[in-house]
Amino acid sequence: MKSFLKYITIVLIAGGLTQSCETTDLELRTSPNALASDQADPNLLLTSIQLAYATNQQTFSDVSQELTRIDYMFGRNYFNNYPGSTLNGVWSRTYSSGGNGVGDGVSVGILTNLQTLEAIDEANPDIDYSFHIGVAKALYAHSLMQLVDFIGEAAYTQAGNPGEFPAPTLDGGESVYDAAFALLGEAANLMGSGPDDLGAPDLFYAGDTGKWEKLIGTLQMKYHMMKGNTAQFNAIASNPANYISSEDDNLFLQYGTSELQPDSRHPDYAQDYTPSGANIYQSNWIMETMLEKNDPRIRYYFYRQVDATPGADSDPNEETLACSLAQPPQHFVDGGFTYCSVPNGYWGRTHGNNEGTPPDNFTRTAVGVYPAGGRFDDNSFGTVGLGLGGGGAGIEPILMSSYVDFWIGYMGDDAAKAQALEDGLTKSIATVQTFGDLDVNADTSFEPDAGRIAAYIQSVVDDFNAGDAETKNNIYAEQYFITLYGGGTEAWNYYRLTGYPNTVPPNWEAQPGPFPLTLLYPQNEVVTNPNLTQKTSLDSPVFWNQGGCPTCY
Amino acid sequence: MRTKLNGILTLLLAFVVQISFAQEKTISGTVTDQDGLPLPGVNIVVEGTTTGTQTDFDGNYQIQASPGQVLLFTYIGQKNERRTVGAGDVINVQMVEDAQALEEVVVTAQGIKREKKALGYAVSSVGAEALEQRAEGDVARVLAGKASGVQITSAGGMSGSGTAVTVRGLSSFSGSNQALFIVDGVPFSNDTNATGDFIGGNVGSSRFLDLDPNNIASVEVLKGLAAATLYGTRGKNGVILITTKAGSGEGGAKKTEITINQSFFTNEIASTPNYQNDYGNGFDQSFGWFFSNWGPSFQRDGVAGWGNQPAIDDQGTLEHPYSTTAVASTRAAFPELQGARYPWKPYDSFSQFFRPGFVSNTNVNIAGGTDDGNTNFNVNLGYLDDQGFTPGNSLSRFNLSVGGRSQLSNKFTVQATANFARTDYRTPPIASSRGNGTDGLSVFGNVFFTPRSVDLMGLPFENPIDGSSVYYRNGNDIINPRWTAKNVTYKQLTHRVNWTAQLTYQLNDNLSLNWRSGLDFYNERNENGSNKGGVEFTSAIFGFYDTYDNNNTIWDHFFSINGNYDISEKLGMTFTAGATSRQDYYDRSGVSSSGQIVFGVKRHFNFENQRPIQFSQKRNIVGILGQATLDYDDFLFLNVSARTDWVSNLTTENNSKTYPGVSVSFLPINAFDGTWNDAIQMNYLKLRASYGTSATFPTGYPVVNVIEQNTQRFVDPASGALLTTNQVDNFRANPNLKPELLEEYEAGIEGRFWDSRIQFEATYFNRVTNDLIVTEPLSPSTGFSFTQSNVGEIQNKGFEADLGIDIFRGENFTWNSRVNFFTNDETVTEQEQDFIAFAGSLAVGGGLFRGSNAAIEGESLGTIVGTAVGRDEAGNLLVNDGGDYVIVEQDLDGNVPIIGDAVPDYTMNFINSLRYKNWNLGFQINHIKGGDILSSTVATLLGRGLIVETADRLNTFVLPGVSQSTGEPNNKQINNSTYFFNNILFGPTELRIYDASVIRLQELSLGYSFPKKFLDKTPFGALTITAQGFNLWYDAYNTPDGANFDPNVAGVGINNGRGFDFINGPSSRRYGFSIKASF
Repeated sequence: MKSFLKYITIVLIAGGLTQSCETTDLELRTSPNALASDQADPNLLLTSIQLAYATNQQTFSDVSQELTRIDYMFGRNYFNNYPGSTLNGVWSRTYSSGGNGVGDGVSVGILTNLQTLEAIDEANPDIDYSFHIGVAKALYAHSLMQLVDFIGEAAYTQAGNPGEFPAPTLDGGESVYDAAFALLGEAANLMGSGPDDLGAPDLFYAGDTGKWEKLIGTLQMKYHMMKGNTAQFNAIASNPANYISSEDDNLFLQYGTSELQPDSRHPDYAQDYTPSGANIYQSNWIMETMLEKNDPRIRYYFYRQVDATPGADSDPNEETLACSLAQPPQHFVDGGFTYCSVPNGYWGRTHGNNEGTPPDNFTRTAVGVYPAGGRFDDNSFGTVGLGLGGGGAGIEPILMSSYVDFWIGYMGDDAAKAQALEDGLTKSIATVQTFGDLDVNADTSFEPDAGRIAAYIQSVVDDFNAGDAETKNNIYAEQYFITLYGGGTEAWNYYRLTGYPNTVPPNWEAQPGPFPLTLLYPQNEVVTNPNLTQKTSLDSPVFWNQGGCPTCY
Repeated sequence: MRTKLNGILTLLLAFVVQISFAQEKTISGTVTDQDGLPLPGVNIVVEGTTTGTQTDFDGNYQIQASPGQVLLFTYIGQKNERRTVGAGDVINVQMVEDAQALEEVVVTAQGIKREKKALGYAVSSVGAEALEQRAEGDVARVLAGKASGVQITSAGGMSGSGTAVTVRGLSSFSGSNQALFIVDGVPFSNDTNATGDFIGGNVGSSRFLDLDPNNIASVEVLKGLAAATLYGTRGKNGVILITTKAGSGEGGAKKTEITINQSFFTNEIASTPNYQNDYGNGFDQSFGWFFSNWGPSFQRDGVAGWGNQPAIDDQGTLEHPYSTTAVASTRAAFPELQGARYPWKPYDSFSQFFRPGFVSNTNVNIAGGTDDGNTNFNVNLGYLDDQGFTPGNSLSRFNLSVGGRSQLSNKFTVQATANFARTDYRTPPIASSRGNGTDGLSVFGNVFFTPRSVDLMGLPFENPIDGSSVYYRNGNDIINPRWTAKNVTYKQLTHRVNWTAQLTYQLNDNLSLNWRSGLDFYNERNENGSNKGGVEFTSAIFGFYDTYDNNNTIWDHFFSINGNYDISEKLGMTFTAGATSRQDYYDRSGVSSSGQIVFGVKRHFNFENQRPIQFSQKRNIVGILGQATLDYDDFLFLNVSARTDWVSNLTTENNSKTYPGVSVSFLPINAFDGTWNDAIQMNYLKLRASYGTSATFPTGYPVVNVIEQNTQRFVDPASGALLTTNQVDNFRANPNLKPELLEEYEAGIEGRFWDSRIQFEATYFNRVTNDLIVTEPLSPSTGFSFTQSNVGEIQNKGFEADLGIDIFRGENFTWNSRVNFFTNDETVTEQEQDFIAFAGSLAVGGGLFRGSNAAIEGESLGTIVGTAVGRDEAGNLLVNDGGDYVIVEQDLDGNVPIIGDAVPDYTMNFINSLRYKNWNLGFQINHIKGGDILSSTVATLLGRGLIVETADRLNTFVLPGVSQSTGEPNNKQINNSTYFFNNILFGPTELRIYDASVIRLQELSLGYSFPKKFLDKTPFGALTITAQGFNLWYDAYNTPDGANFDPNVAGVGINNGRGFDFINGPSSRRYGFSIKASF
C-alpha cells in the first residue's frame, strides 16, 4: 500500500509538473468560436444586410397593416398595443444587429456591415466592391426613411461611431430623409457603372444593376412624395425606365418551401399551415370590402376553411366565435360597422378585438396563395396543414410596380388617380394571378377570367369617376390598401397623410386612445441612451405630417 | 458482495483474536465528566499501540492492556487524561473540562489547517453526520440550512435538476455568484451546463451532483473575502471546502473499519394544488373545450348548472372530444370513439399524472491504516438510484473514490485521492409557462392547468397510426403532456474523474515545501431529442435530435513554502508563500439534427438535416500569494495575506490585480488573567475583525472584436443554395476592460459559556464591488448592442448569527438546539444606465410582461421589474372602460416599473437534535421571511379557475381604483373570468407578484443505535437505523392556500435570476429509512 501510494503520487505529480507550463500561457484573447474581424467575406456580409432589410420590411408591414385594418390588430388600446419594444428589432437591425425573421434566426444588421464593406473596399483598391456598397447604401437609405416614417426621428450623423458618440443624439426626421437621399445618390453613382456582383448572393435582383437603379429611383420618388416635391417626383415618374414600373422590376423577397434548416417559408404560411390549424386572424374589414366589391384577388388572398360564419350566415356560436352572440356596442351600431362576423366563411376578427383564443384554428380564414404561398380558395373548404397549397413559397412584397402607380396617382389629380387605379390594379391583379399556379391541386376554374378582371377594374374606375370627393378618396385608398395586402409598409403613411379610407371600422374599444401618429422610441435605445427620453404618447407627428391626422381613428 | 464481505469479516475476526493472545489483561472502568455523569464516546487508546476503544452510552469501557502501559483518555472539550496500568483491573476516570477547549482545527484556504481561535473571519463547519444518509443525492441540497449565510435554491423537485449555491448573497450581476467548490484541496467544477434559456426550455444538472454526500468527511464554508483571498478570483463568492473521507487522511493508528449505509426513500410531488371540483372546462359558465376552467358546474341545476348546456345531454355526457375534433386524422385513428359519449365530471388528472418515485442509496466505506499510523487509506463506493415523481425523470450515480496518505520518511509525506463518478440524469423537457400553454417544449405547464373535466389520463395521447400527439382541443393545438413525457427526452450522462496529489517535504523543523496538483475532468454527454408528431413546436412537429459532449477540464497547480517560527517566547509566526496556476477549459462539440424520417428512431441517420454544435473557451489564471500569521501569547492573532493574479483573456496592461487581506483575532480570556470570566461562566470568547479583498476576472473573450458566421440561414432564390451570413458581432470588444475589485469588512464575535452549553457566533459584513464588470447594453445606434465594461458598484451588507444551546445534557437525555440566521441587503450604489436587465425575460430577449431582474441605481439587486398597474398622480390604480386594470410599461416618471424585490428579509433555521438513551430525534425547521416571487403557478391556477379560491365565482367583481377616463372611483362590475383571467393572470405583471415567505419542516429524523451489548455477538461494530423525512411540510403562508405553492424554485435557471416561477419546478417530498452498519 505504501509503495503503491508513493508511486501513484509521484506519477501524478510528475504529470502535473509537465502540464503546468500550458496553464501559464497568458495570451488567450482570441475567440475560437468566431471569425476574426479581418476574415469577413464581403459577399456574406451583404447577405446579412439583405436579410436584415427584409426582416425590417416584415415588421414595418405588420405594424402598418394592423393600424390600417389591412391586418387585424389585437388589443383595445393603441398605446398599450405598441409599447417601446415594438421597433427594438428594426432599430438594432438597422444600426447594430438583431434577430432575423427571414429564414432561420440569427443576428443580422445593416450599418456595421456596410461600414465593414467600405473598410474592406478601401483596403483592397484592386477589387471593385461598388455593387456591394451600392446595394447596402440603397437598403440603408430606405430603412432610415422608414424609421422616420414610424418613429419621427432616427440616428444618422452620430450613428455607428461608438468611440466618439457612445450616446448618439437623434437627428430630426427631415434631415435624416435628406441624408438618406444623399445616400441614394451615392448608391446610384456606384450602380451606374454596372459593377460586377463578384458572386455575391443577390436576393432581390440576381445581380441586375439596372433593376437596382430602378429601385434607387423609386426610393428617390418616395423621398419626393413624402416631402411633397411634386416637380422632382414627376421628373422621375415621367420615364418608366427610372423606377419600378413593370412587374419585372418588383422588389420582393422570394420565400421557399424548406421547412427546416432553414425554414424558408413565408412566415404567415408557417403560422397558418400547421398540423393544428391556422394561428393568424385575418382582418374583417379587408375581407368584407373585397367580398362586397367582388374583388378578383379575394380567392388568392384568403383561404376559407368553412363556408359560413357564425353570427352572419350560420348560427351564433359562443364557443368558437363568442362575439357572434354579443350585442354590438353603440359606436359600432351608430356607424353601421360590422362588429364580429363577415359572411360566406370569411371568419376573421375586427380591429381591437381582445378576446381569448377559442378552438377555431380549423374554421377561421387562413392566408391564401398570395403572397404567403398557401392555398387557393376554390370553394373546397378543406383545412390548412403542413405543406398544403404552395408550401409557403410566397413572397414578401416590398415595392411592387402597382404600389408606385398608386404613388403617382396620389401625387396627381383625379385623372391621374383614375389612371393609377387602372394601371395599379392591372399590375396588381396580374401579379397576384401568377400565384394561382403555386397551389397545384386547386380547382383553377375558380380563378377569375380576363373578362371579369377587366370588368372589375372598369367598375372601380367608373365608380371612382362617378363619386364625389369623399367617395373618390375612399375608393382610391381602399384599392391602394387592398393592393398593399402583404406588403403594406406605406399604408400607415398614406392613412396619416389623407385620413382615408374612412370606411374602416373603429376600434372595438370606444376609447382606444388617440390614433398613433408615430410609435414610441425603441426601448432598447431609450434605456441605454442618456440623450433620449421616451415619449409619453403616440401623438407627435412625422415632419411630413405636421398637421397630424384629426380624422384618423 | 455479501460473500466478499463475509470473507473480510472472517479475516478481521481472526486478526483480532490473534492479537488478544498476548499477555494482557482486561481493564474496565467508567469515565465520567467533572459532574460525575457518565461520558459516552470517550476515546481510549493504549499509548504506542493500535489498541483503542470507546466508552459506551453508560460511560463504560473495556480494553486489553499490559501492566506498565499507559491508557490515554481523550474527549472533545475535556483535558486529556493518562493512566498507567497497574495491578488493578478497574480504572475509573473523571475527566476535567478544558477551559481552553475547543481548539478546534479547521481547514482554511489552500488546505492550510488553523486553529479556529486564530481566525479573524467567519468559517462554518458541517460534519459528516449532517450529510450522510440523506434522501437527496445533491450535496448542495443536503447543505440547505446547515450554515448561516449559505443560500441553496433548487431548480425544482426534479431528481438531479440544477441547484444554485450562493454565500452571503450576490455581489455581481453579470458574473457568476456561485460558490467555489474545493474538493480535497483542488477546484471542483460546479457548472450547470444548460443550453438555451428558461423561455425556450433548459434543463441540466449542476455538476456538484457528481459528489456523493456519503463520502464527505467534513465541509467548511469560507464565507468572506478575508477567508478566501488565497483562492484568488474564484474564491470571491465564498468557498465550500469539502474534504472527502478518502481525502481526510486522518493520522494515527486504526484498525480497518467497514461502514455500510443503505437508504430507501419515497420521492413524491409535494406541491400538489388543492383543485376545486365544482366547475369544469369552458368560459363564462358555458361549456367549451378551452384551456380554461370557467365552464358550467358539475351540478345539473342552478344558473351555472350543466343542465343549461346544449352540448351536455340528460345523462350528463358530452360528445367525445376525439369525435368532435376538427382534425381528420384523429377521427380516423379512433373509429371506436366516433359518436361516443364522454362523462361531464371532475377528473383527478394531476395526481395521476405524477408517479410515486423512490430513492435507493448504497454506500460502502473502508478505512484503515498501517500499524505505525504512518499510512492510511480510504475506499468509498456509492450507488444512488433516484426515480423522480415525474415520468421520464431519473438520476443514477455510481461513485468510487480512493485515497490515502503516507509518511514516507521523516521528510516526505504524500497524499493522493482519486474520485470517479458516473452520473446518469434523465428528464423530460422543462420550459417556462405563464399560463398559456408552454413557452417551449415542457412537461409541466399543460399538466398544472388541465381543466377539471378533462380526463388527461383516460384520453389516449398517441395516435395509434402514426404515433403523433392527440389531445382534447378541437384543433389539437396543445401538445399532450403525456406525449411529451414519453417522446421528448433529455439525457445527460456524465463521466467524471478528479484527482489530487500532494507532496510535502519537511526541510527542517521550521520549514516545509508543498506541491499539489489536481485535475478535475468531466465529460457530459448530452442526448436530447423529440420524436416527430408533436404539435405547437417545430422541434416536436418535425422531431429533433441533438447530441453533444461538454468536456470540462480544470488543471490546478500549487506550490508553497511554509514556515513556523517562534520569534520569542510569546510571539510565534507561521507563513506560507506560494505560486499557483489554474486552467479552465470548456469544450462543447456535437451534432444537431432536425426532421425525423421514421417515427421513433432517435439516431442522426434518421434525421434530414444536420448542423454542428461547437463551442470552446479556455482561460488561464496564474497567481502568487503569501500569508503570514503572528500569534502573541495565545490571545492575539494577526493574519496578513496578499495575492496577485494574472489572467489570459485581458490585455497585458489590464490583466493583473493585486489584492491584500488582513484579519485579527483576540481572545480576552487568555489575555486577562483572573477569574472574571468564571462569574459569567464564560469558557471561550473571541473577537475578530478582518478586511479582505478579491478580484473578479471576466470570462470569455471580451477584448477582441469578431465576425459571427452562420450557415443554413436562408435559401438563395436564384441558385437554391443555402445562404451563409457574416455579421459584425453586436458585442463591442473593450480592450480597456480590467478586473473588478471586491472589498469586504467583517467583524464578529464568538463565544461559549455556561460550561459551553451555550455557543454563539455573530458576524457583520460589508462588501463593496468596485469597477463592477457588467455586460452593459449599448445604444444599438452606436452599431453595437453590448459590451463588457467596468461600470457600477454594488454594496452588500449583512449579518449572520449562529446560536447553539445544550438544553439538556443528561446521561440518558440530551437536547441540543441550534439556530442560524442570515439577513442581507444588496444595493446597486452606482449605475450609469437607467437599468440593466441582467436576468429573467428581458435578459434573454423576452418581453417586459414576463418579468426581469434589473440593476437600478439605489435599488436592491433583487429588484424585479415588469408591467404595472397604471396609476394617477395621487397613486390611485387606474381602471379602463372595460373594468380591467390599465397596464403600463413605465411609471409616471418614465422609468421601468419596479414591482418587487426577491431578496428575503431574513433566513432562519432551527435545528434540533435530541437523544434519549439509544434513540435520536432530529428536526430542522427553515423559515424564509419576505422576498417577492413572480409566480405563474399561483396566477395560472387562479386565472384558469382551477383551485378552491375560485370556487366562489357567480358574483361580480369591482377592481379597487379609479376610472381612467372619468377619474371617479371605479364601479364597473366584471365577472369571474374577467377578474381572474384578464387581470390576475394576463394583466399587469405586478399582480402576479407574491410574498415568498415560507416556513418549512426541512428534515425530521428518528434513529435508533443498537447498544454495544446487543452487538457483541454480531459482526457489527455499530448499527443504526434511522427513519427520515425531507420537506415533509411547508407553507408559503402569504400565497393562496389552494395553490400549495413552493417558492423554492429557480424559475429562470441556475444564474443570477431570483424571484421567478414559471410552472417549471414542482417540489418533492421524500421520506424513508436508512441503516448504517460498521464492522
